[in-house]
Amino acid sequence: MATAVPPPSRKEILSLFRSFLRSARTFSDYNIREYTKRRAIDAFHHNKTLSNPSSVSAAFSDGKYQLHVAKRQALVYSIYSPTVKSIMDINY
Amino acid sequence: MASITGSSSLMASLSCNKLTQTLTRAYNFNVVSVAVSGKSFPSLKLSSAPSRFRVSCAATPETVDKVCSIVRKQLALPEDSAVTGESKFASLGADSLDTVEIVMGLEEEFGISVEEESAQTIATVQDAADLIEKLISKN
Repeated sequence: MATAVPPPSRKEILSLFRSFLRSARTFSDYNIREYTKRRAIDAFHHNKTLSNPSSVSAAFSDGKYQLHVAKRQALVYSIYSPTVKSIMDINY
Repeated sequence: MASITGSSSLMASLSCNKLTQTLTRAYNFNVVSVAVSGKSFPSLKLSSAPSRFRVSCAATPETVDKVCSIVRKQLALPEDSAVTGESKFASLGADSLDTVEIVMGLEEEFGISVEEESAQTIATVQDAADLIEKLISKN
């Protein structure tokens, strides 16, 4: 292996988390929006205690890839959004 | 009701300038302003012109209360737990991930958008409330 890449800093990780939550907000479908939020929160909590730099970097790059997937899907779903809103979205 | 017509003009000015996504946030803002219409503040919040008579002191108690309730909900604290303007998130048992979630919840509740750098400097409830007031008055 060549030079070791420094593991992501705290700020980068929090920024990635924030990007996940922001892109979750852009989904119009209630179920997918809630799932994205929940899955991001669970994953970050699960990996909170990692200390080995290589596993931290691996988790971070996996997270970046998933963020890319989420953003792409947000775009696709916005094109084919359902006309009927979920009942959970209606505030009385 | 005067408060509703005022907020609809605010919604119109928001939607002219920004994406349609902001419209859903403006809808939430509408719900918020109707909820506080019982008190004497709506005339201050609904003025779309830059508010000239805003005193440059700390945030209103209602904002602080709303921030406290969101913090309580996020950290699953009991209703009677002591959450005041001076409470630090870390002392309430929140780690940095919880802080990010709290800031997201505040963004959705107040219909604002917090910058990365500003979000990282929030440490107490009062910080959050002041930042919210600043962003709301800037709109």
